[in-house]
Amino acid sequence: MVATSSEAPALELRGIVKRFPGVLANDHIDLAVAPGEIRALLGENGAGKTTLMRVLYGLYPPDDGEILLDGKAQRFRSPTDAIHAGIGMVHQHFMLFPSLTVAENVVYGREPQRWGLLDRTAAARQVAELAERYGLQVDPAARVADLPVGSRQRVEILKTLYRDARVLILDEPTAVLTPQERQGLFQILRELASQGKTVIFITHKLQEVMDLADHATVLRGGMVEATVAVADSSPEALCRHMVGRDLLPQLAKVPQATGESLLAVNNLVVLDNTGRRIVDQVSFEVRAGEIVGLAGVAGNGQSELVAAIAGLRSPAAGRILLNQDDVTATSIAARRQAGLAYIPEDRNRVGLALAASVADNLILTGRHNPTLTQRGVLSQAGIERYTTDLVERFDIKIASVREAVDHLSGGNRQKVVTARELAQEPLVLIAEQPTQGVDVGAAESIHHNLLAVRDQGRAVLLSSAESSEILALCDRILVMFEGRIVGELLAEELANDPAAEATIGLLAAGGEV
Amino acid sequence: MSTHRATQDGSSSSQLTQRLRPLAAPLLAVLGALVLGALLMLVTGHDPLAAYRAMFEGALGGRKLANLMATLARATPIVGMGLAITIALRGGYLNLGGEGQLVLGGLTSALVALYLPLPGWLLLPVSLVGGAVAGAAWALLATGLDRVFRVPLLIGTLLLNYPARYLASYLVNHPLRDVASGMSQTHRVPEGVELAYLVPGTRLHVGALMVLALVLVATWVVRRTRVGYELRMTGLNPDFARYGGINTVRLGFGTMAISGSIAGLVGAMEVLGTHHRFIDNALTAPLYAWTGLMAALLAGSSPLGVLAAGLFFAAVHTGGFGMERGAQVPRELSRVLQALMILLIAARSRLLTPTHRDAPAEKASSS
Repeated sequence: MVATSSEAPALELRGIVKRFPGVLANDHIDLAVAPGEIRALLGENGAGKTTLMRVLYGLYPPDDGEILLDGKAQRFRSPTDAIHAGIGMVHQHFMLFPSLTVAENVVYGREPQRWGLLDRTAAARQVAELAERYGLQVDPAARVADLPVGSRQRVEILKTLYRDARVLILDEPTAVLTPQERQGLFQILRELASQGKTVIFITHKLQEVMDLADHATVLRGGMVEATVAVADSSPEALCRHMVGRDLLPQLAKVPQATGESLLAVNNLVVLDNTGRRIVDQVSFEVRAGEIVGLAGVAGNGQSELVAAIAGLRSPAAGRILLNQDDVTATSIAARRQAGLAYIPEDRNRVGLALAASVADNLILTGRHNPTLTQRGVLSQAGIERYTTDLVERFDIKIASVREAVDHLSGGNRQKVVTARELAQEPLVLIAEQPTQGVDVGAAESIHHNLLAVRDQGRAVLLSSAESSEILALCDRILVMFEGRIVGELLAEELANDPAAEATIGLLAAGGEV
Repeated sequence: MSTHRATQDGSSSSQLTQRLRPLAAPLLAVLGALVLGALLMLVTGHDPLAAYRAMFEGALGGRKLANLMATLARATPIVGMGLAITIALRGGYLNLGGEGQLVLGGLTSALVALYLPLPGWLLLPVSLVGGAVAGAAWALLATGLDRVFRVPLLIGTLLLNYPARYLASYLVNHPLRDVASGMSQTHRVPEGVELAYLVPGTRLHVGALMVLALVLVATWVVRRTRVGYELRMTGLNPDFARYGGINTVRLGFGTMAISGSIAGLVGAMEVLGTHHRFIDNALTAPLYAWTGLMAALLAGSSPLGVLAAGLFFAAVHTGGFGMERGAQVPRELSRVLQALMILLIAARSRLLTPTHRDAPAEKASSS
């Protein structure tokens, strides 16, 4: 422990218990964080991280245990109490007024006043001073709606600092950031810690823990599995604590002779709602036995390109060939019939019917199979067999296939989508952000599934914002910028290049290599 | 014996309460409405007990159960219309054009029966089918407007009710009027093209069985067939359905056609089973379409639920007449009571349908 006898921990949790009907979300959790420390809170989806932080922030009353700040016991009935005591929280989904300025957002609720009205000059000055002191670059007069995500997050951090937070909690702060923004955030957090603030950040990305944290507390099944000094630990050790077993060593990517072209895109143009070319003359192909990566900063045409290939959006020009047949003008059903499967980016809005059962979600693509329907009539026994088999093969953790999907965690939902799309043994699989918001265990199994498709001599197009994921899986990498493919990189050339991620990042930002 | 009972009760009584729980809310609602109604009657100087006895008798009793038959006869078009709306609702389509489809279905069946030169035994089925086709065509018109001109289905179906009603009114008031009868109605359909009565001396006709069969078939189709599955998925999440290769455009047209054809068939059944001619306003004045819509919304798009809700609405209505006759409760008051009951039931209607079980655990643990 960092906290020595001479120095009381800035924050201490003792024996926190939180029960929900049927679930023990937090099981006697102890946690002590020293002033000026950066603590990572690690765990898989459902390990109890978010519950613990909600208890700490006054959103849930604990069933047992106590919270101490600087050695003094606290009792929070609401977030207001917690904020008052010096706890600040940066949520995953920002809580900002887009139409107001940065300064107005920061002072909201505690405005400097003049004649009973908001004193804009004072507000802007105070916010500028605060930003200066902690090294957060942000223009107090800018409208939040005009700011990129990274800057919005800085506004959230400023909000907590303006309210004199001494303990900052950040819930998966890097999930929405580009690599550059991520580095910026880490610098800010280090600066805050050096000025005596205590930082707790929730994550399931191991590398971030290694880069940033002093100590890491790993939760598993609602209990503290381990608290380790990061300097003495390794990503592998952390992972073992988190998942409860070793991850399979490296993703075993055996070089493979590629076959014929299974997916080809020729001079494809897709227009956005305003008629701008969001995909501009894109051509590429994916051959049997390879994974081609589509890298780039979000919003550079990847989603639209993928939607056009999947048949959800019609292109303005160009051709799409599936297994050498022109499918440009065919229906989604026809493309699926021809061997296309698609794991969409937005699993909740497109990839799943949340109110429907796991079984109903799993049979969507196979609903014409004779095992599932005979002459248009659903076979209950066939569905039962088919879906329980998929649940087993893809290790989906559910009580029953009759359970509604909206009861599942993000990782399990994504496994449902993956299982369904792979069940049809597609010739071409399009996977879009397949591990976004998914814990390491589930991400690992999804990666293995993608590799298996490749190793069986079929084709995968992987669109991902995670350069590390692209580098680990792909044989070739296409980088998109402003609707065009601005670079093609071969995996073998990048394999031993420590600057590989930086190269992709540079291309994706419109630079030249 | 006693030990046997104990084990039996131990395992099954909790299951029973689980099963009965969804029924508790509507029962409470009815009870609440009865208490409120009793207060209302005490204030206005009526005997609530006598009134309720009369209501019950009026809905379900009568000599040779005549009142029960009246309730069932009234429930027939309500359940049928409710079913028409429910089928569309399952796919996420709100068909507010039931009234127009009902009227055109009734009119068409009367015209087919009157003017098509076919042998009698063929005329009845052709007349029914004609009604269904007319209803389907009217529903498809609204669907096409939605597709081609982006007139929202909700508005298109609703507004098409007016031309349908007034076109039918015009026809039976002018060119096709049975002038001799002195009323706004067509001639009587030929004998043999009528739907038989189920119970002689009542208005309950074979259409009731047809509606019941339709409810059962619809339940089976929605739950057990691929098309039913595609319909359910489209209703739950149209983006998901489209992504999975379901042709949601074709499904929309097909569903609306079926919805409209059921409405048209109900019109045909009322014309051939109850009135034996098309009478102006006879299908619209009793608000079959709108009561059916209410039943569908209340039943949360379950065909069996529509059956229950439709029977309930019909019973409240005929019971109201019973109250007027048997306990001299004025019509206005019995209407107020009917509305109260429906309102209180509707307030808890979400409990009628299978609800999602609470999942705080998921919410809590999805970090």
